[in-house]
Amino acid sequence: MHIAVCIKQVPDVAAVRIDRERMTIVREGVQNIINPSDYQALSLALALRAGLGGTLTVLTMGPPQSEEALFEAIAAGADRGVLLTDPCFAGADTLATSHVLARAISRLEPLPSVVFCGNNTTDSDTGHVGPQVAEELGLPQVCGIFEVQPESLQTLLAKRVRDGYLETIRAACPVLFTVKGVSEPVLLPGLGSLQSAFSAGSIVRWGRNELDLTMDETGLTGSATRVWRLRAAPHRTKGEILTGQAHDLVKEILKRLEAMSLVEEEQIHG
Amino acid sequence: MLKRNRYMDRGTCLVWVFGDYADYFQNRVTLQLIAKGKALASELGTRVGVVVLGEDIGQYVMEYVAHGADVIYAADNNALKDYDVELFTAVAASWVEIFRPEIFLAGATAFGRELFPRIAKRLRTGLSADCVALEIDRETGAFVQTTPAFGGDLLADVVTPVMRPQMATVHPGIFRELPHDPFALAELIHPPLPNLPERKIEVVRRRKEKARRASLTDAGVVIVGGKGVGSRANFDKLFQLAELLGGEVGATRPAVNAGWAGEERLLGQTGKSVRPRLLITIGTSGALQYTAGIRGSETVIAVNRDHSAPIFGLADLGIVGDADRILSLLIEELNRRL
Ligand SMILES: Cc1cc2nc3c(=O)[nH]c(=O)nc-3n(C[C@H](O)[C@H](O)[C@H](O)COP(=O)(O)OP(=O)(O)OC[C@H]3O[C@@H](n4cnc5c(N)ncnc54)[C@H](O)[C@@H]3O)c2cc1C
Ligand SMILES: Nc1ncnc2c1ncn2[C@@H]1O[C@H](COP(=O)(O)O)[C@@H](O)[C@H]1O
Repeated sequence: MHIAVCIKQVPDVAAVRIDRERMTIVREGVQNIINPSDYQALSLALALRAGLGGTLTVLTMGPPQSEEALFEAIAAGADRGVLLTDPCFAGADTLATSHVLARAISRLEPLPSVVFCGNNTTDSDTGHVGPQVAEELGLPQVCGIFEVQPESLQTLLAKRVRDGYLETIRAACPVLFTVKGVSEPVLLPGLGSLQSAFSAGSIVRWGRNELDLTMDETGLTGSATRVWRLRAAPHRTKGEILTGQAHDLVKEILKRLEAMSLVEEEQIHG
Repeated sequence: MLKRNRYMDRGTCLVWVFGDYADYFQNRVTLQLIAKGKALASELGTRVGVVVLGEDIGQYVMEYVAHGADVIYAADNNALKDYDVELFTAVAASWVEIFRPEIFLAGATAFGRELFPRIAKRLRTGLSADCVALEIDRETGAFVQTTPAFGGDLLADVVTPVMRPQMATVHPGIFRELPHDPFALAELIHPPLPNLPERKIEVVRRRKEKARRASLTDAGVVIVGGKGVGSRANFDKLFQLAELLGGEVGATRPAVNAGWAGEERLLGQTGKSVRPRLLITIGTSGALQYTAGIRGSETVIAVNRDHSAPIFGLADLGIVGDADRILSLLIEELNRRL
């Protein structure tokens, strides 16, 4: 079985700060990591391949440095990586991103039976790319799974929680899954696999030409949406801020609750 | 620009909302979007329509009409009885091609967030995710879709300049639904169904996850605890306070991560939005990713020991004090008054 996993390298959000003056993110000193839900997707893909055998290909679209994410995935057990990089891919919205990824997947040999994506990225956080890759490839999709197991040669059983229900879903291959909520995803790079990660030929680079894409289909020009402007999230006007003895402060809270008729007013005796 | 066709004779209906009735309006977001869609439609001189797919959908249709829908586009068909993303995409996309709406909205629920990207992709149009504001820009007439960026510290105003429809999923709880009007009338259209693809996904089993589900989004009073609450024992006092005030408990990310409250109580950008009459937020710093979920609250009381905590910036009443001390005293006082 051939399994493909789409992973994206993202800044470690816990460390990112916003420069509110200049409306930019401060990336200095911030580490890049594999997007958390893609990491979970990779862990499910590795487990699936361990059961079924076959090949596991990881793909990423991004600047040349995102190759690091592919190395990391290969070190954890993926067989090969595809780096989709080209200056004209920059500025893509989900429509253009999914186009490049879908085109690349459709060029893989043999065609993958299962495609995994993360549920959403921590930097753009749309959750659109998985379903849109599925749409372009004409694949059925199951979003938000946390577990998947082979049922027969051609069918898989996946589990997800959706609107408060735990669902078990049977999907026939080929299919695309998006992954979230895997409780303990682990990727353990072994020594041997680390070597294979850096061996020649385990990563190929495809750009616009290799994928037979026109400029109009990629990056900002291939995008349907435009970010018109970025602005700071508005603050509400300040109310009263009170300091003092805890007892007095609690009295102030109670006054508000009384005013809202949430509690009855204190009876004044004597 | 707009090609008229025979369906448009009675006046255009160019703002569409996808009818997500899962769990019988559990999240009410479709009703909220009808209200917002109606406001947008009146600015554009058009009407608001709701797409309703399924079987035995009469009750939902009536509910949408009572909440302000001008037009209903319905398919009441056994083949659509159970939701399937490919079937629903095929129907919705083909209807868009017939009627050519300008704007198409859905709730940013699990349902909306897997269906809408596929519809948008099939129509080769833009989609913005999890919007917190929608408006027509007065100068340019552009439909501006505001979505939180960089974890909520910034807001991105997104437009779809060329492609149509302009699609957006919208965070539940941002807009207010219109009151139920049992006498409202609407136009009901049953557009033709396209050839339906076969089902490739089958739900084998479905059971309710954990019976207790906080009805946080509907609560009139919400008590939220953050990391500053300090411990599980302290956090349990929030439940006591909520009980005394007839409210529900919410939590920030660190409180959920510490296991003090379940994921279903998470508020904010990656959790729920609430708009209670009163929200008391205790030991929370006021990160924008969190406040994104509480902005609709009428009155906010914040308790934090640090007088410079950003949460005070949106509080109507800010209390500088120790979380546990204030909580304990407040509970004591409320108990005494019972
Ligand atoms: C992409 C992204 C999405 C996110 N989504 C969400 C989300 O949906 N929801 C969410 O909540 N967070 C979210 N976060 C995390 C968010 O950025 C904050 O880290 C989080 O909201 C902080 O929670 P907190 O206020 O409880 O904790 P802290 O920021 O640690 O604040 C604790 C506060 O308690 C006060 N305090 C400490 N001790 C006491 C005491 N004894 N008495 C009184 N006050 C005390 C402190 O002064 C401090 O202000 C997200 C982050 C990212 C990057
Ligand atoms: N540039 C990219 N390269 C590879 N995969 C991506 C890329 N962007 C998004 N994805 C995949 O699509 C999923 C959803 O991304 P998003 O729509 O940005 O939330 C991610 O979890 C990845 O699996």
